[in-house]
Amino acid sequence: MYTDRLLIIFILGTYLLSPAIIEWWSDGGRAWFRPFLVWMLLIGLSYWIGRSRDFDGL
Amino acid sequence: MDFNFYFLLALAAGYLFFLFLVAWITDRGWLPARLVRHPVVYVFSLGVYCSAWAIYGSVGYAYQYGYNYLAYFLGISGVFLLAPILLAPILRLTTTYQLGSLADLFAFRYRSRAAGALTTLIMLVSMLPLLAMQIKAVSESVVIMSGDSQPLDVAIWFCMLLTLFAILFGARHATAREKHEGLVVAMATESLIKLVAFVGVALIGLFGVFDGPSGLNEWLDQHPEMLARLYFPLQDGTWHSLILAFFVSAVVMPHMFHMAFAENLNPRALVTASWAVPTMLLVMAICVPVILWAAMAKDVATPADYFALGLSSRFGGQGALLAYIAGLAGATGMLIVATLALSGMTLHHLVLPLRRPEPGEDLYRWLLWARRILIVAIIGLAYLFYSWVGHRHSLTTLGVMSFVATLQFVPGLVGTLFWPGGNRRGVLAGLVIGSSLWLLLLVLPALSPVWHWTALSEFLGLRFASPVDQWHTIALMSVGANGAVFAVISLLTTASSAEQNAAQTCAVDSLRRPYRWKLESSNVDDFIGSLTAPLGPVTAEREIELALRDLGLSRNETRPYALRRLRDQLETNLSGLLGPSVAHQLVDDHLPYKAQGDEESNEDIQFIESRLEQYRSRLSGLAAELDSLRRFHRQTLLELPMGVVSLGADGEIIGWNLAMEKLTGISGQRMTGSRLANLPSNWREPLLRFATGPVQHMPQQEIAIRGVNRWLSLHKSRVHESIHGERDAGQVIVVEDITEIRALELRAAHNERLASIGRLAAGVAHEIGNPVTAIACLTQNMALGATDEELQQGTEQILEQTRRISRIVESLVTFSHSGQLPQQHHLPVDIHDSAAEAIALLAMDPDRRQQRFVNDCTTGLKVSGDPQRLLQVFVNLFANAADASPDNQPVRITTKAQDGHVEVNIEDHGHGIPAALLDTLFEPFVTSKPPGRGTGLGLALVYSIIEDHSGSIRAESPIEGDHGTRFVIRLPAVAADTASNGITA
Repeated sequence: MYTDRLLIIFILGTYLLSPAIIEWWSDGGRAWFRPFLVWMLLIGLSYWIGRSRDFDGL
Repeated sequence: MDFNFYFLLALAAGYLFFLFLVAWITDRGWLPARLVRHPVVYVFSLGVYCSAWAIYGSVGYAYQYGYNYLAYFLGISGVFLLAPILLAPILRLTTTYQLGSLADLFAFRYRSRAAGALTTLIMLVSMLPLLAMQIKAVSESVVIMSGDSQPLDVAIWFCMLLTLFAILFGARHATAREKHEGLVVAMATESLIKLVAFVGVALIGLFGVFDGPSGLNEWLDQHPEMLARLYFPLQDGTWHSLILAFFVSAVVMPHMFHMAFAENLNPRALVTASWAVPTMLLVMAICVPVILWAAMAKDVATPADYFALGLSSRFGGQGALLAYIAGLAGATGMLIVATLALSGMTLHHLVLPLRRPEPGEDLYRWLLWARRILIVAIIGLAYLFYSWVGHRHSLTTLGVMSFVATLQFVPGLVGTLFWPGGNRRGVLAGLVIGSSLWLLLLVLPALSPVWHWTALSEFLGLRFASPVDQWHTIALMSVGANGAVFAVISLLTTASSAEQNAAQTCAVDSLRRPYRWKLESSNVDDFIGSLTAPLGPVTAEREIELALRDLGLSRNETRPYALRRLRDQLETNLSGLLGPSVAHQLVDDHLPYKAQGDEESNEDIQFIESRLEQYRSRLSGLAAELDSLRRFHRQTLLELPMGVVSLGADGEIIGWNLAMEKLTGISGQRMTGSRLANLPSNWREPLLRFATGPVQHMPQQEIAIRGVNRWLSLHKSRVHESIHGERDAGQVIVVEDITEIRALELRAAHNERLASIGRLAAGVAHEIGNPVTAIACLTQNMALGATDEELQQGTEQILEQTRRISRIVESLVTFSHSGQLPQQHHLPVDIHDSAAEAIALLAMDPDRRQQRFVNDCTTGLKVSGDPQRLLQVFVNLFANAADASPDNQPVRITTKAQDGHVEVNIEDHGHGIPAALLDTLFEPFVTSKPPGRGTGLGLALVYSIIEDHSGSIRAESPIEGDHGTRFVIRLPAVAADTASNGITA
């Protein structure tokens, strides 16, 4: 449960810091697929977490 | 690319018929259950999120607002990436309490009918633009492709087809506990088709227009403005509002809530969905810029919203049909599921609170028909909205109106999952404020310039010509006001205990702490009787049977704990049928708790424990350590070798440990939640008397257990709870089985008594023996010198009497254990032979009445002992038996080997032993013979010898009617090899 709280704070922090992310994203030029790469990374992370962790007894 | 209007309509009908077929096949059970419940099916069914907005609107949005289009796909991806902390708790709640919609969840969490009704109302209004958008997308795509039809004509046909499908396959069960498997598989199929078709269109663009990825890059090099067009709108500040709106809509939108939670066939599938749904959306999202650039490269003439359609039609009829089918699939899926979900919400929160079926009516049928009528009404409303204003606005405008509205549910949802302090007054006020701002500032001005409240906008500092252009400001302002009002009012007001209880149930980080309130009903029949009034006899009976089956309880259940669980389960099941508000009120009205103060109610420890057991895997850190400690203490109590019964202050049994189960033969599962008054009579009376009495200890209490009397010591102690101030929280009773100890004590006392008598006997024998010997000698001398016949007879009688005294003295000496062979010198003694020798000795006694003996002892059965003393045992017992037996009845001696012992039975058919003598039969000087016939030492001697041989003896009388006596001797047997060697232990 404490992990969840940390995660929520992390998400909120990421959300608030998103202008910086968007700036990095906007500087992509021809690398228009930058957001998709980050997205894929997140999916990979989620897959790994899903394999290693029981979803709260689901 | 002009297609025939009727062909396109027939294609839509054919597509719906295909979905119908898939759903029908699934409902018939022709698809294997493993496939239906496979996580992939669940993941694809969640693709219902990708409505016409994803296929058409997102391309138009990317054209107009660049990369902001990604928010639609990233919002829902974020939700699923956070599934463990966001979706899993909601799924657990909806599954446990059968909550089918967000309105159900709010009504349950805030224990407020108004919260459910307001949520439904706002949802209905806010969904109309989105529903209208789907109708618009399909009808305009038909118009674009056919070129000659009126959109409204298409729309009405499309709505009729949809209504039919929704009724046939979405409203087949009245209750939320029955899942629509057919609908789930149909929606998964629909998503697959949509995905394949959309990717197909993108591939047409990529390879048909650019000759592959390198061609696309070259084109982008030549047209850098296209990339700039994509990046630039990111700076306009709408990103935050957009991502938040789509993030929230993925959870609260009725169609998403319905597919993700209400129709979830396999909770574990959420684990797969956490990464598979974002993957599916990534694939769709990456297609959007490709389609946009390809359409622009080809100068497609259609509006940007329909670039997919325009682009694919450039490559022949099949290409166009691909985009049309993708759009059709997106629109129909969303429309069907959203309509079903909205109809359920409206039924539970707007219709049923106002009108319920009469008790005589078939409830299930009534609910089904009500739902079908609502489906027709909702699709009808969506059509009216579309025909009235919808067709004048772009897909983007319609979508934005709906998505901003969903933000209004954020504070309520945060309160549900993370803030138990939020209350219904707060959530209601927040919803009213937030949705009013949404309606006044965004929706009404967008619908008609007449409703552009300039004064209000200026008062709030909003200066813009078109509200839709500034929707993100309105979104943040409305949800900010909503959240602030929710928080402030919740902090200023207090929630009812029922609401606090529900808040604890829903909160991710806390555990519901239910109380043991007493119910008015005391058994299952009372429940049926109480629910017959509102539900009718058939429905009441059926719902109670279902609830009993869900809980695994029997119809005879009377335990208060079980009845409370039955009440909860009934409320849950009725919630699936009638919605949580109506179910809660119905159960409260007809299955009420007895009125009592808070100080009288106690926490339902048993229920809290069972919940903790379920939540075990969710505990981490300190909570997990504390839980381990709790389990250790619980296990200690459970396995304590003494019986422990914990009672609540109201007398309900909270704990019943293993020793208690063993002692009573009654399982803890049966007794927990019950009362002492429900115990069997032998336990009820003493435990109840002790629990309610003033004494703290009851040292020796005799209780008959399974036909055997046992001795128990009872101790009790009151338990005081100090968390909420010092108050009585019940008592704990410790039951100690002292039967063995008592038997040992009795035996020790008996032996001590015998030893005292032995010592006395030895002293008496010594003191009497000497004078008697002297008398005998003197009398013999007198007899030798006596010539008088009378004197001779006299001396003879004196000698006879002295011999008798000598025999008694000898008996006393023998009894005093003199001449006992030490145990280590015991020899194997054959019982048959020993009995035969005793019979022979008795036969040689000329003064004894000759009695027939039947020696049926098994030859070869040996015991370890002193042969002479055992012979004495048999002589004594046989002589007694012979004295008691009538002439024609033999004394019978039998043996049997049992559990390492030899059991010898000596039976006679005499007059028996009086019951009053049985308990003291083996005490010295106790005899049933007339005075002068027996010393009363024979059986005491027998008892003493048998004890010395580590055996036991008991007497049973009468054995036949009111006659006969049986002496049963148990002696340790000698093992065969030991016996053959002549060695004893």
